[in-house]
Amino acid sequence: MLEIVFVKPDALPRSGALVLPLAEAEGAAAAPPPGGLRQRAEEATGGAIGRALEAAAFKGRKGQTATVWAPGAGLSRVVAVGLGKAAELSAEAAEAAGAALQPAVANEAEAVVAAEHLPPALAVALAMGAVLRAYRFDRYRTKEQEEDKPKLRRLAIATADPDAARAAWAGQEAVAKGVYLARDLVSEPGNVLTPAEMAERCRQLEPLGVEVEILGPKEMRKLGFGALLGVAQGSANEPRTVVMRWLGRSGAGKGGSNGAAAAEKPLAFLGKGVTFDSGGISIKPAQSMEEMKWDMAGAGAVVGLMAALAGRKARADVVGLVGLVENMPSGTAQRPGDVVRSYSGQTIEVINTDAEGRLVLADLLWYCQEKYEPRFMVDLATLTGAIIISLGHEHAGLFSNDDELAQRILAAGKAVGENCWRMPLGEAYDKQLKSDIADMKNVGGRPAGSITAAQFLQRFVNGKPWAHLDIAGTAWASKEKGSTPKGASGFGVRLLERLVAEHYEG
Amino acid sequence: MLKVRLHRAPPEGAALRVLPLAEGAAVPEPFRAAAAAARFTGRAGQALHCLVPERALLVGAGPAAAPLDFARAGGGAVAQADEETRALALDARGLPPEAAAALAAGACLRAWRCDRYRTKDVKPGLERLDLVVDRPHAVAPAWERAAAAVRGCLLARDLVAEPANHLTPALFAERMERLAEDGLAVEVLGPKRLAKLGFGALLAVGGGSANPPRLVVLRWKGAGGAAPVAFVGKGICFDTGGLALKPAEGMEEMRADMAGAAACAGAMLALALRRSPAPAVAVLALAENAIGAASYRPGDVLRTLSGRTVEVLDTDAEGRLVLADALHYAATRLAPRAIVDLATLTGAIVTALGHHRAGLFATDAALAAQVAAAGEAVGEPVWPMPIGERHREDLRSDIADLRQCAPHGSGAWGGRFLPDACHAAAFLRAFAEGVPWAHLDIAGVALRKEADALGPEGASGFGARLLDALVAMRFEEGKG
Repeated sequence: MLEIVFVKPDALPRSGALVLPLAEAEGAAAAPPPGGLRQRAEEATGGAIGRALEAAAFKGRKGQTATVWAPGAGLSRVVAVGLGKAAELSAEAAEAAGAALQPAVANEAEAVVAAEHLPPALAVALAMGAVLRAYRFDRYRTKEQEEDKPKLRRLAIATADPDAARAAWAGQEAVAKGVYLARDLVSEPGNVLTPAEMAERCRQLEPLGVEVEILGPKEMRKLGFGALLGVAQGSANEPRTVVMRWLGRSGAGKGGSNGAAAAEKPLAFLGKGVTFDSGGISIKPAQSMEEMKWDMAGAGAVVGLMAALAGRKARADVVGLVGLVENMPSGTAQRPGDVVRSYSGQTIEVINTDAEGRLVLADLLWYCQEKYEPRFMVDLATLTGAIIISLGHEHAGLFSNDDELAQRILAAGKAVGENCWRMPLGEAYDKQLKSDIADMKNVGGRPAGSITAAQFLQRFVNGKPWAHLDIAGTAWASKEKGSTPKGASGFGVRLLERLVAEHYEG
Repeated sequence: MLKVRLHRAPPEGAALRVLPLAEGAAVPEPFRAAAAAARFTGRAGQALHCLVPERALLVGAGPAAAPLDFARAGGGAVAQADEETRALALDARGLPPEAAAALAAGACLRAWRCDRYRTKDVKPGLERLDLVVDRPHAVAPAWERAAAAVRGCLLARDLVAEPANHLTPALFAERMERLAEDGLAVEVLGPKRLAKLGFGALLAVGGGSANPPRLVVLRWKGAGGAAPVAFVGKGICFDTGGLALKPAEGMEEMRADMAGAAACAGAMLALALRRSPAPAVAVLALAENAIGAASYRPGDVLRTLSGRTVEVLDTDAEGRLVLADALHYAATRLAPRAIVDLATLTGAIVTALGHHRAGLFATDAALAAQVAAAGEAVGEPVWPMPIGERHREDLRSDIADLRQCAPHGSGAWGGRFLPDACHAAAFLRAFAEGVPWAHLDIAGVALRKEADALGPEGASGFGARLLDALVAMRFEEGKG
C-alpha cells in the first residue's frame, strides 16, 4: 500500500515531483500565498510554474490536473490538481484531488504534496484518495517489466500540523487497509479463493485482535444449516462459515479498551460469500461467467470492515459473519424442485439454483440473531441482476425494516461516496414467494426481482432491525471513477465503517 | 359506471345491504353471533355473507382511517356480490362524507367491466348502488368529487381495454374530441401539421403504420389566471416494437401501450367534471409503432421538435421518442408550472418494482413528494427512482446530440443488465426544458395481473385518480 507521511512544509524538495492542490479561485493567475512551498517553487523557477499553468488553461476544477515538466530547481515535474470551488471545499473534493493526482505522480520515486493551506482533515482525505486510487492487483502478472510498474512507494504531504494529520490518518489508514483487503479478496480467481482458502485468510485478522471462529461442514450439519449446505453440495470445495468478533467496547478482545465494561449487544454484519457462482444446475450463460468470481464481494466487504474496525481499535462490539460456498453443477448438486430445511426450521422450495445467495444468507441471518442477539444486522450481497436493471452502477439497493438504520446507512454512504438507494418492501411482494409445497420458494419471478429477494431474506431476520445492501451493481467497477480504479471496488467497507464511527462508538 | 343514488334510509326493494365495519369495532347486534362464528373481525379484505336474521354483507374496512380504507371496503363488497345481485345498499350512516363517498367510489371502480365485444352470454351484474347516509345533502358534494375521479379512471380503463384495431391514433383523437361536451377544449394535430411544426420523433415512430400519428391537446381552464399544470401521456396505440420486433408471446398486451395517454385523458375529464379551479393541460402523443416499408430504423438520426438530434438504437424504445416531442411542446408552448408525464415505458421498471408500484423520476423534490402522497392516498402507489450522472453519460452518441438508449449488450454481466428505466428518464429529462418535472413509468401497473379491491383483472386506469388527487392537493391553493 502507498505509504503516506505528513511533513512540515520546511524545504522545497530538490528532486521528484511537487504537487499543488489548487482551488478554483486560486488558479494559475492568483498569486501564490506567501511563504508556502508553492511560492518557494515559483521563486526557484523564476515564476515558470504560474506561467505554465496559465498556458495550460488550468482552472482548478475538481479533479482537473496539469503537469509542468522539468520547471527547474531540480524538480522533474510539478502537478497541479484542482480542488473545485474554494467555497465548496470538502473532504469529498480533497479525496477526488488525491485520486486525480496519484496517476500523475505514480512513476516518480518521490513526491511531495503542498497541502499546507488545507486543514488536517482535508489533507487526510486527500491522502485517502491517493491511496485508494493507487490500488492494483498484480499478483498474477509474471512478465510485467519493472519500468511499467508504478514507482511511487511513499507520498509526502506537507501540512501545517503534521501531528494532527498523522493522528487522523492512523484511523483512515486502517480503513484503507480494509478496503485493500476486500479488493484483494474480490479480485482473486475462483480456483485460488475457495471457501477454505477464504476462511484461512479471515484468520489473518487474528493479530489485529479479532476472534475468528470457522465452522466447517460437520459443524454446520450438526447445527442444521440446510439451506447453505444445499447450495454447497454440488462443489468439491467444501463450505465454511466464518464468525469474526471484535470486542472493542466490552474489552473481552485483545484490542479492548476497557476490560471492565459489560458486554453490549453487538452490531452484526453479514456477507454473501459465493466464491464462484456457476449458477449450479440452473447454469448461467457462458458470456461473462468469469465475473462470478466476485460473487463473494459481500463477504469480502465484511472481512475488510472487520479489519478496518480492529485496525483502528473501534470502540464498538462487532460481529461479522460470512457464508462461504461454491455453487457448482454436478451429480451431487441440488436440483430445481428440491426442498431444503433452513436453520430457522422454515422450508424452502428451490426453484432456481442460481438464486443461491439468499439461501446462504438465510441460515446466517437466523443463526446470527439467535446466537449473538445483535443490536441490528446489516447484510451485503451481490444478490440480483435485477438491482442493476433497477438502479445501474451508481447506487447499491438498500432494503430495511428499520427507518432509522436505513437513514443512517444512506447518510454514511453519501459521506464516503458509496451511495445507496432505498427500495421498497411490502406484503404484496412477499406473496410472490408462496410455494405449493413448502413455506416459500427461493425466487418470486422476474417482476421486482430484487425486492422479492429482500423479502426472502426478511423472513429470516425474525423481526430484528435489519438492512440489506444489494451490491451486485457496485462491487465491481467497469471503469475507474474517483478513488476507485477499474475492478474490485471494495464497496461497503468505508460505508459501514463510517456508520459505526458516526453512531455506535459514543 | 353504476347508477348511484343517495338515500337517508335503506330503500325498499331487493338491494343487498352492505355494512362496512372497522377492524375490532363492535359488530351490530343482529350479526354479532355470525361474525363471531365466522371469525369476522373487520380486517381489510374480509367479507361475511349473513342470511339470518336478515340478509346482509359485512365487509372489513381495516383501520377505517383514510377514505381509501372505505373505497377498498366498497370494492370488496362488489367482489362478493353474486351474479344475481342487481343492487347494493351501502350503509354509510355514521361515516364522514368523504368516507361515505369513497365507499361508493370503490364499489364503482370494482364493478367496472368491458363487455363491449361480447356478443353472447353476457352476464348480468350490478346495476345500481344505494348509498345510505345520515344527511344526503351533506354527502352529495363529496360524492360528486369522488364520482368525477371514478369516471376519469373508468374512461382511462375503457381506452386501455380497447383493441388496437378499434383504437387507432385517429380514433383515439375522435374520442378525445367528444370530451368537449364535458367542458374541455380539444385540439387535434394531424400528420401534416405535425410535419410542419417539426415533430420529427413522433412522426418517425408512427411512420411505419398505415394509421398516422396524432397529437391531442386537452385544456381545462379552471378558475383562470394561474399557469396550468401539464400532463403528458405516451399513447402508442399498438406497439409491435417496429423493426426491433417484439416476441409474439404477450404481444397482445401491447394494445395497452397507450395507458399513459389514457390516464392523462381520464384525469382531465375528472377535473372538468368536478369543475376544478386549477387550470390544466394534457398533451397526448398518439402513434402506432408498426413494421412497414416506411418504418424508422436502428441507426437513424431524428431531429426532434426541440432541435436536438437523437440516434435511434432500438425501434422498440419508441415511447421516449414520442414523449420527447410532446414534453418539449408542453414545456415551450403551454407555459406550464409543472409537468407530469405518464408512460408504459420500460420492462426494466417491471424488473425493478414489479406490479405493485410505478417508478417515479423527478427533477423537483417537492413535486415528487406530492405525486407520491397523491398515489398513496388513492391506492396507486409509486416509488422514487434515481437519475444518475452515469445514466446520462450512457446516452452519449457518436453522431447525434444523444442516443435514445444504451446499446444492447453494453450492460453488466454479459450485457444483459441495463438500467433502462433510468436511462429513459435521463433521456426525457432533457426535453422537459427545465420545467419542474416528474415522470411515472407505469409499465408494471397499467394492467392488473389479478383482481383486487379497486378493480378487476385487466386495465387499471392507473394514474387518472393519482393526477386528480395531485391537482387537488397541490394545485388548487387559494381556491377559497
